[in-house]
Amino acid sequence: MPIDVINLSHSYKTGTPFEHKVLFDVNLHISDGEFVGLIGPTRSGKTTLAQYLNALYIPRQGRVLIDNENTADKKADLVSIRHRVGYVFQNPEYQLFAPTVGEDIAFGPINQNLPQEEIDRLVKGSMEMVGLDFNTFCHRDIFALSGGQKRRAAIAGVLACRPKVLVLDDITSGLDPRGREEIMKVVKDLHLSQNITILFISNSMDEVALLARRLLVMDNGKIIMDGPTREVFARTEKLRSIGLELPEISIIIDSLQSAGFNLPRGILTVDEAISEIAAALHLREGHQ
Amino acid sequence: MELTKNITLGVYLPGESAVHRLDPRTKIISVTLLIVLLLLARSYLAFGLVALFLAGMVYIAKIPPGYALRGLKPMLPVLILMWVFQLFLYQAPGTATLFQWWVFEATEAGLHMGNLIIMRVLFLFSVTTLLTLTTSVVSLTDGLENLLKPLRFIGIPYHELVMTLVIALRFVLILAEELEKIMKAQMARGVAFDRGNFIQKTKKVFPVFLPLFIGAFKRAEELIVAMDARSYTGGKGRTKMKTLRMGRVDFAAAVIMLVFTGIMIYIFTAFKAFI
Repeated sequence: MPIDVINLSHSYKTGTPFEHKVLFDVNLHISDGEFVGLIGPTRSGKTTLAQYLNALYIPRQGRVLIDNENTADKKADLVSIRHRVGYVFQNPEYQLFAPTVGEDIAFGPINQNLPQEEIDRLVKGSMEMVGLDFNTFCHRDIFALSGGQKRRAAIAGVLACRPKVLVLDDITSGLDPRGREEIMKVVKDLHLSQNITILFISNSMDEVALLARRLLVMDNGKIIMDGPTREVFARTEKLRSIGLELPEISIIIDSLQSAGFNLPRGILTVDEAISEIAAALHLREGHQ
Repeated sequence: MELTKNITLGVYLPGESAVHRLDPRTKIISVTLLIVLLLLARSYLAFGLVALFLAGMVYIAKIPPGYALRGLKPMLPVLILMWVFQLFLYQAPGTATLFQWWVFEATEAGLHMGNLIIMRVLFLFSVTTLLTLTTSVVSLTDGLENLLKPLRFIGIPYHELVMTLVIALRFVLILAEELEKIMKAQMARGVAFDRGNFIQKTKKVFPVFLPLFIGAFKRAEELIVAMDARSYTGGKGRTKMKTLRMGRVDFAAAVIMLVFTGIMIYIFTAFKAFI
């Protein structure tokens, strides 16, 4: 299910003295099965762009095509588009409202008017996808969950709608390291085993470096970089100039390079770094 | 979907106009006076004059007219409902019947009553919006507190009262933002708020208002802790960074308000009927 964004612009509070433009002529194509990371400083327009992808905003300038269906089309079935493009909000636990975990996750499928057995199956399946045991958690009180569990329940609530594309808006913020790791694992599994296309918005360069194969960088309402994650992170100066940091590994590699080590650019994982540094050290010893 | 766009009540639009520079006390007293006049007004002429007066203020304060009217938009359905109720249910002896429908009878008096009530609500709302658009929260608080000071003699905690009021005003926008976010989150799970019959639509309120209320309580708790952390103890022994002072603009405003009130009182007494 391809997604196309064509010449999209957006202003907030149009027609008021507080009007300000947040998207300028954005163009974007996401193909099936991609894992795309989206980074950028705060207020760069990431969330606004993402909310266009599941028709929470309808374009006034430009076009958004979901599966070749124009969201601005009067005949477009927005509810169906929103089911196909799942959206997990920042702090998604704010959307939880039902007394128990199971009931809250069933909310999306109920809106689709599915038969009861199908709903049960989806609730169970999506709980397992996020690593919440069905028997333990299905009837548990929402407010008895920990922060990380609440967030996983909220993600399950979106997964139960059976999306083909998933937009994840900074879903690891405010979690402790273990919670982050759990969520990251869930996201990775979803992409690999369910073949869901993912747009992963994050403020953590490390997370993006680990997960995304393609990386978009936004600044001031424009996509200023779009390419393979390694190549984007190799453009150190440009990223720093808009106030973004590099993944921790890249920082280490960067300082080793300026200290005179001959290392290739674009190293993103710990394992790569270990073997490359070992090789460089070996080379050095050989010279001496 | 953007909810906060149409909210003007409680929003401050910074500016340098004469209306902005007025002492908050002058503005609060003037607004109170205008509210009393609006409640007493019973003729088209009186409301017309208030409309002119408000238009003048909007012009002087350099508020874009379109923006000044925008806040009224969400109120329209309620106002229309009120108008219909008045049209059919207000009965006065000896007025002409306009038309009849089933058991309902629309009278001329009802029509006038409906019109007047709508105007009253619209203008009451506009007057208060004009106040908040041109007055920052800080000076609004200072002004209100200063005016309510005499209440301390009968044991009313005026500072706390004002603080509560101002926080409530600020929360209008914050809660609207939160509401928008929760509505979007539920829309993303397939709720179509504009679909279905009345009962189905009403049911859709729960997935939105439950999280909203929980969030509001959480926010209130955080606010309490934040105030406590900065040693807030209420009004006792509190000093002000800026002291209020009346100037020439305030004198001019007082003269204008007196003249306007005089004219209005004349209209109230001179014309009894709807005109």
